Amino acid sequence: MATWPRTEDPILARLARLAASLRTRGDQVLVLVVLLALWQGLSLVFGTYWVGSPWGVLMRLGKGVMSGEILRHASYTLLEAAAGFLIGALPAAALPFALRRLPIVTAILDPFMVGGYGAPKLALAPLFILWFGIGIESKIALVAITVFFIVYFSALAGVRALDPRLVQMAQVMGADERDVARHIVFPGAVPHIFTGFRIAMPYSIGGAVIAELISANRGLGYLVQLSAMNFDTTGVFVALVATTCIVFLGNWSVNVIERRLLRWRPRPDLDMQAGS
Amino acid sequence: MAAEALLEVRSLSKRFGNRAGREPSPWVIQELSFVVNEGEFLTIVGPSGSGKTTLLNILAQIDTASGGEICLQSHAAPIGNSKSLKPGLACKIGYVTQEDNLLPWRTTLQNVLFPLTVQRRLNEDTRARAQMLIRAVGLAGFENHYPHELSGGMRKRASLIRTLVYDPPIILMDEPFGALDAQTRAQLQEDLLRLWNLGRKTIVFVTHDIVEAIALGDRTLVLSRSPARVAGEHRNSIPRPRDIRGIMIHPEFAPLYQRIRVQVQ
Amino acid sequence: MTTHESELDRAERSQVKWRKYAVTVGRIGLGVALLVAWKVGADAAGPLYAADPINVFQRIVSDSMSGSLLRHITVTLRLSVEGFAIGCTFGVALPFLLRRMPRLTRAVEPYIMASVGVPKYALVPLFILWFGIDDAPKLWLVGLLVFYPVFIAVFAGIRNVDRNLINMARVAGASEAMISREVIWNALLPFFFTALKIALPRAVSAAIIGEFLVGNEGLGYMIEYSRQNFDTTGVFTGILVATALVLVINAALVRLDRHFNAWRPIDRDMAL
Repeated sequence: MATWPRTEDPILARLARLAASLRTRGDQVLVLVVLLALWQGLSLVFGTYWVGSPWGVLMRLGKGVMSGEILRHASYTLLEAAAGFLIGALPAAALPFALRRLPIVTAILDPFMVGGYGAPKLALAPLFILWFGIGIESKIALVAITVFFIVYFSALAGVRALDPRLVQMAQVMGADERDVARHIVFPGAVPHIFTGFRIAMPYSIGGAVIAELISANRGLGYLVQLSAMNFDTTGVFVALVATTCIVFLGNWSVNVIERRLLRWRPRPDLDMQAGS
Repeated sequence: MAAEALLEVRSLSKRFGNRAGREPSPWVIQELSFVVNEGEFLTIVGPSGSGKTTLLNILAQIDTASGGEICLQSHAAPIGNSKSLKPGLACKIGYVTQEDNLLPWRTTLQNVLFPLTVQRRLNEDTRARAQMLIRAVGLAGFENHYPHELSGGMRKRASLIRTLVYDPPIILMDEPFGALDAQTRAQLQEDLLRLWNLGRKTIVFVTHDIVEAIALGDRTLVLSRSPARVAGEHRNSIPRPRDIRGIMIHPEFAPLYQRIRVQVQ
Repeated sequence: MTTHESELDRAERSQVKWRKYAVTVGRIGLGVALLVAWKVGADAAGPLYAADPINVFQRIVSDSMSGSLLRHITVTLRLSVEGFAIGCTFGVALPFLLRRMPRLTRAVEPYIMASVGVPKYALVPLFILWFGIDDAPKLWLVGLLVFYPVFIAVFAGIRNVDRNLINMARVAGASEAMISREVIWNALLPFFFTALKIALPRAVSAAIIGEFLVGNEGLGYMIEYSRQNFDTTGVFTGILVATALVLVINAALVRLDRHFNAWRPIDRDMAL
């Protein structure tokens, strides 16, 4: 509920909004401080053995980064996630295009794809470890298969979202099949494909970490598991913080690339202008 | 002005496919016949829903006809079988649709160049022509804007010059200025006539606005309500160049308007 | 032209029928081909890397008969349902609570959104450390994985409820609790159900993966235990049963959804 009066004056309104957002920011900082204080309090009550402390985690994180150890494990996990993502996402994005003129094949594949999408791919982790060992390949395979089904359906939606009027327009101007695919189908599907990328990205890192939790000798998931087995809570927190950072990094990258590639999209909050 | 028929439409008929077992659907167009002469600006008026867009779709070869024939430059066009349709008839028929249908992922300039790209005719000369057209309709400075950054009127202009840029012998226009406010519409009508004057291409312009039909056309056809037929043909002898904004004051306007209006009812 | 038209019509209809046959035949064919490929692949790769489908089938039968399969399935399902209930409860209750405290909500929101980025599975070792090796860490995992989608859906749903409806209810004299119940709950039902459709299969997946890491019962345990003993047939069996379980749940949810919401004009573009 607004506690200050609504005003017609634009300057006053602007000031009121500024004050409100500053207040919110202040609240948010306050919450952070409270959370950290709570954490510190818990560590005093239960001991850093059980809970780690904010300061301890920070120190260990700094040490880990400086020694390069964190970065080494992080890059391993990142490599698994990225490689698996590419191997899974690229064929998944290409398939609906290749099958665009063969709707019967798409229909035949549909129940298998839906089944693959619904099936718990992460349950395959032990199988891949059996096949590929505890090295990097099993993690890449798991990520790839998880990402594949997600991106496939997004790309399929993108290809299906084709506006037939645009195709007609292009045909009247002399476009052949290849032109339509290249200039109309593909650019139109890119936003949908990126949505798929955005959804799949956390799954790629999550998949890599889970596989590492089960069986690995490198990577952030391995670090989490190792620290836990050594009852090193601080170490666990450090690895978790690093993992979360990678997730944010991944999200940020996808957003940056998407913003660049999709400059042409109308932003939903802008008003559509009608008339001249 | 004696001119040869560029486009001949004979006994054109169209009705949409009926679901199995039901009554056959009503005729949308029935026994429609007319001729378009070379270099002529033909306007077609009719009430909403009278099948004007369907007619243009058939002429542009993106829809089939149920009967009749169409001849462009004395060659018959295949219109009965959906498989043998050739949209745009090898780029001889341009079509400015009601929606601007600009590709959202292309800038204004890229959109205007699109037909040239697709027809593999993109070179220095055609680029220069595109630039000239962009300037001619007042879009200079907006070449690198995306469609969502343009106003409705600007998008309309872009879609208009996109068809003009590759210079098809005959251009169909489906109420291109319908959704715009009066000011913009008048401006675009003037721009259109000015551009048309440069090349005297053949234009078939469909509208529900009788004033617009008189302001722009050399000849006006009136379509009847469903099923669409030619209800009347009116020669427009108001001399060119015409004063679009002041067309209603011209002495010949009122009687012509009255004649057409009576038939449109 | 009418004969031409009716010819076209008939041709179209028979084409549609032919297509349906082709698709069905194709699907069956593909399924058979995959089974054959499995058999051939298993023979080629050897018993260590791939389990023969016949062996897998036999194992399923023998495990079902001995009851061990049912036991594992029950354990996993129990875990899933319990975790699901916990996650759902908090996921629904919290947004309603937060609704009364907009200032707190604004202050806490960025942290909640940031916590979405933490891979919940990575927390399992920590949970094991804290809560032991029984069900607790798995329940936490399932609970968290269910909590987030439900919370976000309900939160967003509450936010999007038409202000006018709420104001109208207030003017008519409804109490806050009644507003919560009638106006808001009904408005966010579709969001909620969509989230449930995502959350329930996830709960089962999460239970299985939790069982990879800790515990001595359940489908996940069965799979991982087989792997550690190089019992490839057991691995295949477990994965097959787990997949079938999740797919059946998915299908049942879709059926239920269609049945209950058939009358409701759902906005199919809702993305979650």
